[in-house]
Amino acid sequence: MTDQREKDIIESFIGFADRLIDDVDVLALTTELAADCARLLDVEAVGLLLADPAGVLHLLAATSEEARKLEAFQLQRDEGPCLDCYQTGEPVSVADLRTETQRWPRFAGVAEEQGFRSVHAIPMRLRTDRLGALGLFGTSPGTLKDADLKLAQGLAHVASIAIVHAANTPEHSDVLTALRAAVTARSVLETAKGVIAQTQHVDTQEAFRRMRDYAHLHHQHLADVARAVVSGQTLPATTR
Amino acid sequence: MVDGDEVRAGLTAAVVGPGGGGAAADRLCAAGVDLLAVDGASLALVSGGAFYSVGLAGAGISAVDELQFTLGEGPCLDAVNSSAPVLVAELNDTHRWPAFAAAASQLGVRAVFALPVTVAGFPVGVLTLCRHRPGRLTRVTATGAFLAVELAVLPLLDVMGTDMRAAVNDVGSPAWDELGSMMRSEVYQATGVLIAQLGVPPAEAMVRLRAHAFATGATLSDVAYRILDHDLYLDDDADDNRPEE
Repeated sequence: MTDQREKDIIESFIGFADRLIDDVDVLALTTELAADCARLLDVEAVGLLLADPAGVLHLLAATSEEARKLEAFQLQRDEGPCLDCYQTGEPVSVADLRTETQRWPRFAGVAEEQGFRSVHAIPMRLRTDRLGALGLFGTSPGTLKDADLKLAQGLAHVASIAIVHAANTPEHSDVLTALRAAVTARSVLETAKGVIAQTQHVDTQEAFRRMRDYAHLHHQHLADVARAVVSGQTLPATTR
Repeated sequence: MVDGDEVRAGLTAAVVGPGGGGAAADRLCAAGVDLLAVDGASLALVSGGAFYSVGLAGAGISAVDELQFTLGEGPCLDAVNSSAPVLVAELNDTHRWPAFAAAASQLGVRAVFALPVTVAGFPVGVLTLCRHRPGRLTRVTATGAFLAVELAVLPLLDVMGTDMRAAVNDVGSPAWDELGSMMRSEVYQATGVLIAQLGVPPAEAMVRLRAHAFATGATLSDVAYRILDHDLYLDDDADDNRPEE
């Protein structure tokens, strides 16, 4: 591990730990967690799946369009390593998807179409409760180094703690309501992206950046900013 | 006591079948009474600040629902206003709604659980469960109540877009597949585009998008991508079958 990388990792953890102290913005935190995983680990893209109270998985964050498509595929088809990881609560590591065409016949094909060759899925857990799974996607075959696996587990644990923290706030009496709120917040965020894309003539990625920057600048939760956008309040178009 | 799998199967089966949104709402409420250890269940549509009762099961429940609409206070109204569940394990212990609590206890209601049904975080309805006996929901019944709320989106959107499902009404449509396809990122994003384009609330934008998909036989995802790519403009009035620009 290089000194610089070690420094980046420490900074990432301190950043998350700081934000767990008070009011947790679950939506912003999980989005940035996925981005940090993609940056710090030897993988191309990252997706984060969260289960709702019914055990149905939802996509909470993805660092690329390809990862988003692949996670969405797993949710739609009930097949894939992230689903297996969530269901068993154990990591699932696939060094080369071409050797796993029997285990996940359709997933392996779709993954390759999106340019991925390896997948590592890390469970998100709170003691015995299963919360979701973190999916790490690589464009070349290979196993995840032991140090990287541990780091990914650490980051997944931070996300789990954030959700548990949110569950202990006055608005959410338990994990069930916190999970539900996180999943709802995601749907509000996606809808708000569409509203901004339409009103400010930008693509949905730029729409996300504008909301994220606005939330940061005004010390607001991303979910609250998104909600305001969907209810018709306009963000200044010059927030960048 | 039924287990989680039975609850899930029973509730899921309830929203599928003949008769449109109203009948599905009644079946969902009846399944709620059977499976969630409550005495009454009701589902109301919220539109333009008004409540419309859509589904009902259990004795005395309709009075509990309408009491709140009449008195202008109660857990259902708070659940809708805050877009968050309001769970009252013992009505006698709360002073939030004096008039409602008094009237409800006359009917023998001691516990009320009001859960908003939302589209993109905005309320489209409210599911109310009530019980003669005080006490919290158990883990299995709470999970079941949240499941019922997810499923309740389907009959409510059907009622809003009354005719759209005529063609697919009697098909044993897998409710979770349909919900899953509604919850995809591109579908929400396209809903956002429609909100801005047509100036309608989220639920109505979602109804328009679904109506177009049903009418043209396309998937929600395909319709969503076409809207996002500016390849499809849904008309400003209700008829979505028109030729596109």
